Amino acid sequence: MTNRSTSSSLTKYYWERASRNRLAVAGLVFILFLVLLALIGPFFTTDPTAVNFEEKNQPPLGFTIEESVYNLETQQLITKSIIGTKEHPLGTDNKGRDLLAMIISGARVSLMVGLLATGIAVALGTLIGTTSAYFGGWVDQVIMRFTDIMMTFPFFLLFVLIVFIYGPSLIIIVVVIGLTGWTGTARLIRSETLSLKTREFIMASKALGASNSRIILAHLVPNVISLIIVIATLSIPGVILAEAALSFIGLGDPLVTSWGMVLRTGQQNLDIAWWVAVAPGVMLFLTVLAFNFMGDGLRDAFDPRSAV
Amino acid sequence: MANHKLLEVKNLKKYYPVTGGLLSRHLGDVKAVDGVSFYIEEGEALGLVGESGCGKSTLGRTILRLEEPTEGEIIYRRTDITKLDKKGLRELRKEIQMIFQDPQSFLDPRMTVGQSIGEALLIHGMKDDKEREQRVMEILERVGLEAQYALRYPHEFSSGQRQRIGIGRALILNPKLIIADEPVSALDVSIQAQILNLMLDLREEFGLAYLFIAHDLSVIRHVSHRVAVMYLGKIVELAEKNEIFQNALHPYTEALLSAIPDIKQKKKARILLPGSVPSPLNPPTGCRFHTRCHRVLPVCHQEEPYLKNIGSEHLVACHLY
Amino acid sequence: MERAILTVKNLKTYFFTRNGIVKAVDGIDFDLSKSECLCLVGESGCGKTVTALSIVGLIDSPPGRIVGGEIYYDNVNLLECSREQVRRIRGKDIAMVFQDAQSALNPVFTIGNQITEQIKLHLEMSNREAKERTISLLEEVGIPLPEKATDYYPHQLSGGMKQRAMIAMSLSCNPQILIADEPTTAVDVTIKAQILDIFQRLKETRQMSLLFITHELGVVSEIGDRMLVMYAGRLAETATVTELLNNPKHPYTTGLIKCLPDMTQAKDRLESIPGTVPSLIDPPGGCLFHPRCNKALAICSEEKPPPIIVNEGHTVFCHLYSHSKG
Repeated sequence: MTNRSTSSSLTKYYWERASRNRLAVAGLVFILFLVLLALIGPFFTTDPTAVNFEEKNQPPLGFTIEESVYNLETQQLITKSIIGTKEHPLGTDNKGRDLLAMIISGARVSLMVGLLATGIAVALGTLIGTTSAYFGGWVDQVIMRFTDIMMTFPFFLLFVLIVFIYGPSLIIIVVVIGLTGWTGTARLIRSETLSLKTREFIMASKALGASNSRIILAHLVPNVISLIIVIATLSIPGVILAEAALSFIGLGDPLVTSWGMVLRTGQQNLDIAWWVAVAPGVMLFLTVLAFNFMGDGLRDAFDPRSAV
Repeated sequence: MANHKLLEVKNLKKYYPVTGGLLSRHLGDVKAVDGVSFYIEEGEALGLVGESGCGKSTLGRTILRLEEPTEGEIIYRRTDITKLDKKGLRELRKEIQMIFQDPQSFLDPRMTVGQSIGEALLIHGMKDDKEREQRVMEILERVGLEAQYALRYPHEFSSGQRQRIGIGRALILNPKLIIADEPVSALDVSIQAQILNLMLDLREEFGLAYLFIAHDLSVIRHVSHRVAVMYLGKIVELAEKNEIFQNALHPYTEALLSAIPDIKQKKKARILLPGSVPSPLNPPTGCRFHTRCHRVLPVCHQEEPYLKNIGSEHLVACHLY
Repeated sequence: MERAILTVKNLKTYFFTRNGIVKAVDGIDFDLSKSECLCLVGESGCGKTVTALSIVGLIDSPPGRIVGGEIYYDNVNLLECSREQVRRIRGKDIAMVFQDAQSALNPVFTIGNQITEQIKLHLEMSNREAKERTISLLEEVGIPLPEKATDYYPHQLSGGMKQRAMIAMSLSCNPQILIADEPTTAVDVTIKAQILDIFQRLKETRQMSLLFITHELGVVSEIGDRMLVMYAGRLAETATVTELLNNPKHPYTTGLIKCLPDMTQAKDRLESIPGTVPSLIDPPGGCLFHPRCNKALAICSEEKPPPIIVNEGHTVFCHLYSHSKG
């Protein structure tokens, strides 16, 4: 028997449970910060692609770097100090691009790719999963075998092939990830739907005369929403890392500044400009962590058996 | 009580095919319901009793066509409902409804109680929100709950209250027959009594007929006019309530009755049935009960007994008679 | 009266949750004698399972905690023992049979394996001896062809057989006390009869004490010697089974008995107890049953009813009877 306040909707109840998990809340806060950064950051920073060789390899604010250059004419090693400035609070890379601006641009890219690609994958997966489970029989068999095949599909090879044909672009990344990443979701949603199907309230609805579409839309889908939310939240980090990895190896969109791309530059100049690698690395790390914490918190909140 | 047959079931069978092997060969059938016949009159309560696996729940669902019958006829008011099309079936829903067993599972946790109860009205065309609300509140009060509970969610209620909600949902379309599938099995004794009383009251007020499915004979006794005993997919005995309890003929019924603990007398001679119920995939030859029967005869191994009228509407399927 | 083998004094087990403190068991006392079957009776939520779990030290902590009282087994207060000591007693001297045989048995091991493992855990025995003992245990609980049965996995057994296997497992170390938590609740009527029969035989042949938890009064009348009626975490009434069922005093007990569909006479309407069990967080003051009691007095909402001895061995916790004592 429960002792909850009157007419508390299920959503409010889950929200209360989730908010008790401090790590999850911290994750949410970070993500909100990231969103804010992505939305209004560009108004306060310079163009991330603006190249300025005068100010290249500048360290972040508060740091000083000793740069040694061999002067051919005087045949001497001249040491110069480069000081971090307010104009480039995080420093610059080897082409003088402002790191802060690049990080903000990267945040936009990661969030956009993460949300869009995951959105496509989860939507597809849910549709396929619920349909397969609800109709059962040979429909289920056919769909599941198709899913198995798609699961073994080498996403990376497909991606390389498409990039080879059409050239690299952000849209391609989003679409390819979305169209190949639905299989895990489909399986999970299918098994949840299978167990829901046998719950007596589905049978009760049928007994009242409800049509199949009514049962799927009004009963099944609302009851898997919590699972969908958890799956989506926990999928986003994977997608973000996938895009970062592709950009890192040079298959990303060259017109767009993403964290992976910055990492690539940073890795090449690690000895003289470590901050160029550290900044995106730290951001990726924190972002992935944030989504994972939030996803875990949500999962625990939705599970009626875990005592929160 | 009118002498009008509301529901008549004739030789109803529900088999679940079992397939196996690489090519999905048909290996056999789980004979969940294997040739069941009975009738229920208007306003009458027929108790259907049996242990797990006897097919009583399957029978209930098949009558409602939540499962498609394999063979046989189900005649509701002169219409064979096994032959109804989709439209006809929807109309039928207004006549026959169902109450379920598990209060934790028969209500959609994401819908308010009002939405769950009112869903039936929505499906059958009552589009006006206000009208539905009104009807829902009336029903809630009729089953002993407050009208404002319509805005609450199932998880806020106790098991007994949820069962009342389930009854309300079944009642809102004004059915003539309610199939109650173990409605009180999951409830505490004191709540069971409340719900059974409610069902008795509703029966009187609305002239409802019940097919009351249960495994507890003492509960059946209070709700039923007549009682049918099921074993492995077949009805083995059917008679008026008092006949069954005072003059049980089939050995299985005897065993069931003797297994009921009685709090007034302590040690009574109990018939212990050896072993457990055989699988409905491969029922015993001859009389299905012969493997556990304490009064078995040689003929029981070979021939299946048929349900016979012994006299005064007392039907029994047993070679002893 | 026989010497008590288990004595529980003022046991209090609370659960500390976000919504408040749930007083699942709030001060109960009882004795269990050798070779006696004591039934803990009550409806869901009354605290009977929590009592049993408290005795064997299986309360999930957090959020539960035994906040008070003493449990004496063999002159030792179990609540003052280390976890290790309690663990040694649990399974060996005090064994427990759970309600759901399905989830209590490990699906990936054969039942023979599970029982021999239990034996070797507590007793010094060779493999062969343990195996022999397992077979004789399975035979004792009435499992046919016990030598073959040791190789069966739980899923190969029917519900009744699984229940028997669980009972065999609990008997493996010759416990002095067997706690059975609603072993007949989830089974069919005919299997119920079989299981009760087993317990009856065990009681006679092993001189074991049995703490039998159930909500079914019929089962109590078959197997119990004495019974304890619990309500919302507290005791309502205790007596021998015959005395209590024929001469109930507490309004809750009387109500419960009246609720039962009676086999001897066909009543048209069943008596029922109006209302529901109160919340165990911030329960009402005084007697917890008073809001549903049709005989409540003014004092019932204020003071907790004290134990009153009505007859020999028959104690009731109800203000109605304190007047007669003067």
